[in-house]
Amino acid sequence: MEKITFTINGVRRTVETEADDKLLDVLREKLHLTGAKRGCDNLSCGACTVVVNGKAKKSCMFPMKKAEGAEIITVEGLSDGMVLHPIQRAFIDAGAVQCGYCTPGIIMELYALLMSNPRPSEEDLTAALNLHLCRCTGYEAIMEGALLAVEYVNKK
Amino acid sequence: MEHMKYIGKDIERPDAVGKVTGKAVYLDDIALPGMLHTAILRPEYAHARIVSIDTSQAETMEGVVRVVTGQDAPGISYGDNIKDQIPMAVDKVRHIGEPLAAVIAETLPQARTALKQIKVEYEPLPVYVDALKAMEKDAVLIHQDNGAYWHLPSIKPVPGTNIACEYTLKKGDFEDGMRQAEVTIEDEFNYPLGSCAALEPHGTIAWFREDRQIEIWSTTICPFIIREEMAHAYERPISEVRVHVVDLGGCFGYKSDVTIEQTIAYIASFVPGHPVKFMSSRREDFTSTLLGHGIRTRMKIGAKRDGTLTALHARVYHTTGAYADTGVNVIMAATHNCGGPYEFSHCNLQGYSVYTNTPPVGAFRGYGHQESHLAVEILMDRLARKLNMDPFELREKNYLGPGKITTLGEKLWKSNGDIKAAVKKVKTAVFDHPLPGEDDQYYYGRGFAGLMKSPKGAPFSTKGVYLKFNHDGSISVNMGGAEVGQGLRTVVKQVTAEALKVPPDKIKVYNDIDTQYCPYEWQTIGSMFTTQGGRAIVRAADKAIAMMKKTAAQILRVDEDYLSYDGEKLFLKSDPGVFVPVPEIVRGYMYENGITIGEVVQSTADARLPRYSSPDENGQGSMGVTYTFGAQACEIRIEKKSGKIIVDHFASCFDVGRVINPKIIRGVVAGGVVMGIGAALYEELLFREDGTIKNPRYNKYHIPRLSEAPGRQTIDFVETPSEIGPFGARGIGEHPLVGVAPSIVNAVYDAIGVEFSDIPLTPDRILDAMRKKN
Repeated sequence: MEKITFTINGVRRTVETEADDKLLDVLREKLHLTGAKRGCDNLSCGACTVVVNGKAKKSCMFPMKKAEGAEIITVEGLSDGMVLHPIQRAFIDAGAVQCGYCTPGIIMELYALLMSNPRPSEEDLTAALNLHLCRCTGYEAIMEGALLAVEYVNKK
Repeated sequence: MEHMKYIGKDIERPDAVGKVTGKAVYLDDIALPGMLHTAILRPEYAHARIVSIDTSQAETMEGVVRVVTGQDAPGISYGDNIKDQIPMAVDKVRHIGEPLAAVIAETLPQARTALKQIKVEYEPLPVYVDALKAMEKDAVLIHQDNGAYWHLPSIKPVPGTNIACEYTLKKGDFEDGMRQAEVTIEDEFNYPLGSCAALEPHGTIAWFREDRQIEIWSTTICPFIIREEMAHAYERPISEVRVHVVDLGGCFGYKSDVTIEQTIAYIASFVPGHPVKFMSSRREDFTSTLLGHGIRTRMKIGAKRDGTLTALHARVYHTTGAYADTGVNVIMAATHNCGGPYEFSHCNLQGYSVYTNTPPVGAFRGYGHQESHLAVEILMDRLARKLNMDPFELREKNYLGPGKITTLGEKLWKSNGDIKAAVKKVKTAVFDHPLPGEDDQYYYGRGFAGLMKSPKGAPFSTKGVYLKFNHDGSISVNMGGAEVGQGLRTVVKQVTAEALKVPPDKIKVYNDIDTQYCPYEWQTIGSMFTTQGGRAIVRAADKAIAMMKKTAAQILRVDEDYLSYDGEKLFLKSDPGVFVPVPEIVRGYMYENGITIGEVVQSTADARLPRYSSPDENGQGSMGVTYTFGAQACEIRIEKKSGKIIVDHFASCFDVGRVINPKIIRGVVAGGVVMGIGAALYEELLFREDGTIKNPRYNKYHIPRLSEAPGRQTIDFVETPSEIGPFGARGIGEHPLVGVAPSIVNAVYDAIGVEFSDIPLTPDRILDAMRKKN
């Protein structure tokens, strides 16, 4: 067991964990942040995506030793009290949410993208969304939600 | 059409905020005090006698509370249609994902580590991964007791064979129909085994409480069936079994019927007092829950030269898997829907549900419709070519519609919908502009399929509702229908709003299902929730309004029929100035002196399909009841170099009777089409001859990503009101999948002139076909 310290949604936390333990397990089991979902365990589905040091990472395979000193943002860190983040609002407005299981991962993917590039092209959005599986929507509304998110984020 | 105030509008989903904030609770997010974890051992062979299981080493491992095998309490069997299922293998294993033993431990890693120490000795048996092989004369029996299991009277097992159910449908005089035929066309079609592969895998928590209550949380859409099955297995009153369903991360069929729940309950029964949690890994979700399809259809169509269809012959073979309880109704639907959206006066149809050494098949969005439509819609195109007729003209001549009779013998009425109107819209969208000619890179093609979908329910299937007026005029609605993403809670909200003439924001829809508090619902299947659940809401609303009128009549001292209700007040029709506001009477009306009269306004109702029946001796009966017709078409490109099929445009139109929420219905159709594209182009669970599975993972079982979705989708609706659903509405959940594969296969012929009879159409198969052709 090692002590690993990082910042999560703005709060400094220290956890005791094996260096090879995965971030998703620590988030869900130790920190009770269950917004990141487990869909596959082999980087295929993207439901577990969180933001680590500004980059979207699939937490199911992300080893804890790489989390030392990191700044991590999960879907729970996005909204401000009762106020939704523009990306979250955009997803609702576009009808991009059905079962919701892929939603937090996709929103975090877009969050990382929009923080580094507030005006991504449609190709950039396609490349980012292509890392995620959704079995409900057929992606049409998800793409609309992403485009709307770009609009909302820049209006803010 | 009647003017609707809240129906037909895009109101926001009541579950959306919870889902975008990550706060919606799914099964795996639940942790209970004292909860233990379990991991399950799966066999090394798909069919083998169990010689011995040695758990001694595993029992001594760190954190291990108990190791369980099927030998610990043999004798529990279960099933809704055939009681051929068991919670854990006893004397033999019948498929590669079957539960063989389980470790219960303090943590999941401990359970998984200990699992590796269990030693099993097997005596392998012959393996069958295809129905046709398992039906051969000298095939070894997968179930020695086939025929002896309890089953519904409509299920016909053939003892001494691997046939779990034989279903025969006869309509008219088939021989006569064939005599009238001037042209026949036939082929064998295959819709291979696949998985619904929802993003959320199956999971269950089971808890045998010290107070003798059995409490269960599960990823299921049939909590009431689970409640009854548990009560039966553990000899408790049904009321002592409590089943919870929280948010579900997709279903698409395979979370209906009892799947893993009996296994987890069996395991938990050895550690009473402790909740025991199990979450399938993605691999287990593929290998150890329910699969879909696995259906071969040998179909022959007879027609006159003018295109009039005269006879239909089909033999349908279902690789149903090691247990048939969840698959036997699929074969019935796959057989009686062989006629697709066409009228055949004379039919001879037979379906076989066959035991095989593959995981059991259950519902898959479409339930026997997409497999039968693959056959009939490809054959209709081929028949048109043989008759040298325009395929639209051939179809037009034979569509079901008012006055026509389905294979099941049900007469259709105008209120069953208008397929011709749907076809017209799709045809305009896809066929009314020139197709690009072949170029250096691509071949181009377009294809069409008509479709008909009816639910495969059960005669007693019903959906209940509890409606409660609160004294500020807000309304609570409680039902037992499972929200799997399809937007069911939004439908509840909008139908309630319309029925009670109250704005949707005053209506609170239930978040989760708890069999202790929710009204009864059989299970949320067959695209029946809007139809039945919506009708139940209308009935409960009418009852509530009647209750309010009764109280208001006393207060206003008039007869009830002189009163009217507008959502805000009860008023005298002849003098609307005489009224009483709704909030003043919903808890009973209190006079100034405190004396209170009138009932609290809360009502209950349920609704089932009218006159839904079991099959008669000809396999016919009132088994469709509510039909939805539709049409789908696509424009594709085939890349010459790679053989890859690209869907540029996909068009769908359904006669849904009434659109309740335009945004949600578009999302359901768009998603269903992409799922159908997955089946047509990529998805197949690949079995080796020994019954092991080659690709039980997301990166090997290819489900479509955004870049594989159609370039654009045209999605349209016809609204011919139904007499059954609320405000004329019909179901739509499964329908978007039904015509996708045949329309793509037909488009491939249009592009390269090759006839395919099975899917998926992978690039290798296309390249191979092009090579052979040239």
